[in-house]
Amino acid sequence: MGEMEQLRKEAESLKDQINAARKAVQDTTLQEAAAGVAVVGRVQMKTRKTLRGHLAKIYAMHWATDSKLCVSASQDGKLIVWDSVTTNKVNAIPLKSSWVMTCAYAPSGNLVACGGLDNMCSIYNLKGKDGNVKVMRELAAHTGYLSCCRFISDTEIITSSGDCTCILWDIETGTQKTVYAGHQGDCMSLAVSPDFNFFISGACDFTSKLWDIREGTCRQTFPGHESDVNAIGFFPNGNAVITGSDDTTCKLFDLRADQELITYQDSSVMCGVTSLAPSLSGRLILAGYDDFNVNIWDALKAERVGVLAGHDNRVSCIGVSADGMACCTGSWDSFLKIWN
Amino acid sequence: MSSATQEEDELPSNHTGPKGVINDWRRFKLDSVDQTVPQKKRELLRQMSNPREDDKDRSNRKMSAQEYELIQNEDERGLKRYRKQCMQEMHERLSFGPKFECVHELESGEAFLEVIEKEHRLTLVVVHIYQNTVKSCEQLNSCLDCLAMEYPTVKFCRIDAVATGAAERFSSEVVPALLVYKAGELLGNFLAVSKHFSEEFFATDVEAFLNEYGLLPEKEFAACADDEDDAGDVE
Repeated sequence: MGEMEQLRKEAESLKDQINAARKAVQDTTLQEAAAGVAVVGRVQMKTRKTLRGHLAKIYAMHWATDSKLCVSASQDGKLIVWDSVTTNKVNAIPLKSSWVMTCAYAPSGNLVACGGLDNMCSIYNLKGKDGNVKVMRELAAHTGYLSCCRFISDTEIITSSGDCTCILWDIETGTQKTVYAGHQGDCMSLAVSPDFNFFISGACDFTSKLWDIREGTCRQTFPGHESDVNAIGFFPNGNAVITGSDDTTCKLFDLRADQELITYQDSSVMCGVTSLAPSLSGRLILAGYDDFNVNIWDALKAERVGVLAGHDNRVSCIGVSADGMACCTGSWDSFLKIWN
Repeated sequence: MSSATQEEDELPSNHTGPKGVINDWRRFKLDSVDQTVPQKKRELLRQMSNPREDDKDRSNRKMSAQEYELIQNEDERGLKRYRKQCMQEMHERLSFGPKFECVHELESGEAFLEVIEKEHRLTLVVVHIYQNTVKSCEQLNSCLDCLAMEYPTVKFCRIDAVATGAAERFSSEVVPALLVYKAGELLGNFLAVSKHFSEEFFATDVEAFLNEYGLLPEKEFAACADDEDDAGDVE
């Protein structure tokens, strides 16, 4: 038997052992555990505000931690910071590249970042001395597109890239602090744990990985999806991870049990999940699909309890505010809407 | 648009998220008037846009090295044209479908089921369950008559609670009831919907209500405002 063949067999056998170990500790299913929980009932949300100003499809949006401001990135090559209460544009930042895939608001509210096909993460200072918003840093080192970025603080940011790696950057010096390598496919999304010690990444190798930010190591890997993992989010208590994939399903993985607890799927759903956001309590999961539809799932019972923006599919990205009071959707027709 | 064969009611894959951006960029490059993209590379873009089923090796990398080389500073005018084109296309795609002129009266529970299940999957179906003796039902019926003319792509229907065969479910407390369906799925369910309105209400009130839930199509394509190059301004 050739060496490659032997190694392959060994890898397979190890995978089987992991699966067996996971099964061995599984003493119940989420369905059973949640059987006594009351149903949520139909969720129908109303548009409270419409944010107008972009000129093309909204690619990404992110709420600030004050749950009032949010930033959106659009195909029109602009980053706009909105006051969601008054619907005013606080800042309109022109970008060098229109092909922006992600944007992020720093927890402090001082910085925003974005990136895309330019392979770079550009950091903008919103609180510059003379009131103008300027590029503060351009973090360039990735050899692939920048699919997602999230701030840890005003001095650190994590990015995920189409080059299969994630990087922790020192914003002051513009250098890489840590490179998280291990995925076998483009990294599509990342989310930081509520305690800022870990982050998770979803990739086109059908898996998601939990990384220790400081150590730089991959702590856990969650296989199970049958296609690319496009979207990922932490369950609000930090103990579980929700993933959305091109295989049309979302899955809930528990970190301590190290395995999948439940899959959110429906035979009528025929396209991939590309964005997701849990509600503040975690009871609801808003999942955005590639056909611009948003399904609202009951996280415990794995049932669809509603749709967002039902009439025609427009939603290209979603985000739930930190205080859980509203969700924001960006659409292909250039508008953002605030719902609850 | 010259792109690969697309059925009228099927969206090509990957419209949202980072892959959506990649595909939009590819389409822009393929359709752009700028012919500086050499033939070989155009072929590459075409191939990447339509991955073959058997192409497993490349499946977990979404962009090829050659494609990265093609990314460069884009022609702004070409981009503006492309964005407008994208939105126009989406609007056209969504307004495709049968058109209706007035509110349809459903005679029975079976007719109700049929209209929900058999309509074109892009058509929104709004059903009003009414009772003849309830005043707000009468008001709602006239409102819907107006809306039916203003929204020809939406199929408005009404059915007498008794005709549904489930009259006990639709007592006077819950009518008028408005149910909204699309492609066989219940999108909106509003029992005693008149409690959301004041005693006298009109078509615009019902329209505003449905719009709040995102349940009505845009009436006309709101063309993008002419570009304001407002770099960093504050309102």
